[in-house]
Amino acid sequence: MPPAEQAATPRRAPIWDAPVRLFHWLLVALLAFSWWSGKHHDMDWHRRSGYTILALLIFRIYWGFFGGRTARFAQFVRGPRAAFAYARALATGRHVATPGHNPIGGWSVIVMLGSLAVMVCAGLFSVDVDGLESGPLADYVSFDHGRVAAAIHHLMFNLLLGLAALHVLAVLFYLVRLRRDLITPMIHGRSRVHEEGAVEDLAASGWKAVLGMVIAGVCAYAISRGLHF
Amino acid sequence: MVVSRVFRILQGAMLAATLPALALAAAPASAPSPQAAIAARQAGFKKMGAAMKALKAQLEAGAPAKDVMANAAHTIALTAPQQATLFPAGSGTSAGVKTDALPNIWTDRANFDALMVRLAAETGKLQAVATGGDVAAIAAQAKATGAACAACHRQFRADN
Repeated sequence: MPPAEQAATPRRAPIWDAPVRLFHWLLVALLAFSWWSGKHHDMDWHRRSGYTILALLIFRIYWGFFGGRTARFAQFVRGPRAAFAYARALATGRHVATPGHNPIGGWSVIVMLGSLAVMVCAGLFSVDVDGLESGPLADYVSFDHGRVAAAIHHLMFNLLLGLAALHVLAVLFYLVRLRRDLITPMIHGRSRVHEEGAVEDLAASGWKAVLGMVIAGVCAYAISRGLHF
Repeated sequence: MVVSRVFRILQGAMLAATLPALALAAAPASAPSPQAAIAARQAGFKKMGAAMKALKAQLEAGAPAKDVMANAAHTIALTAPQQATLFPAGSGTSAGVKTDALPNIWTDRANFDALMVRLAAETGKLQAVATGGDVAAIAAQAKATGAACAACHRQFRADN
């Protein structure tokens, strides 16, 4: 542990706003439920779960522009140079704690959100092998294309499982090797670490969160009805 | 010169390779090769799936087109009984073609055949209600038919 960290008086700075944390844990629960319901061919519940994930995804993208400081894409999406510099610092033990997503974690978020978006979209157009069960937008594609969408849906889930495993491994690496707990801050929202540039206020607006939830809910509902009005 | 001769030989070889396949496609009534059976049953299942999707789309539409539903149900009912005949011995994974047919089709044949009979019966009922045009009855029977599909897939189809 760098001496600078030990010298600083521990204080708890807010690091994740409530919508980010809610998004994270709801997504974990719903992905598990979607897997379970899909496995048991309970397609009514699988669809409902998927629509909720769709709403979460829309909200998260909105929150990436209008959310708290650490939720914003502009804050955590960094160029490859920053990512490589951070990786080098990690490898040489000169790791600097950053408030919010670090340059590599930011890319991990983008890749996971992107994979999730592809999986959800493919699911919307998917058709089951018997042609009876399908996503709400399958009416717009042929049976064969719906089957391709189902294959992509399945493939993306496996990819997402791999990414989630990588994510958990990275969190464990920080916990064990760097002695930095990333888990409880994602629960209570505050970080004990005295990071450079940590702020007292994430400036997450309540009314913007509510507006985002309404937008996400309306969009997900319209898509779940197959965009038929 | 040599090149053109090689080319001609290759052409002849390709033709020779294509001819038996054409002959098989032309005469599927006599016991089809395992590969031809796999291709035929996959085409049949795809046809049924596409027809079921078309029927389902009508059921979800505001004003279901009854002739579309009747046509789709007709296709399904016509195709289903043929499918049972397209699983000859040796047309499993050993055939060397990609197939999701599990080996227990041939070791648990009575069970498989019973499910195929059930499928034919459900699709027959589907055609009957689709001709009648009662939307609620068609929806219920489509669901029953889908359950027959799923019951067999669970036991006898990989990737499920």
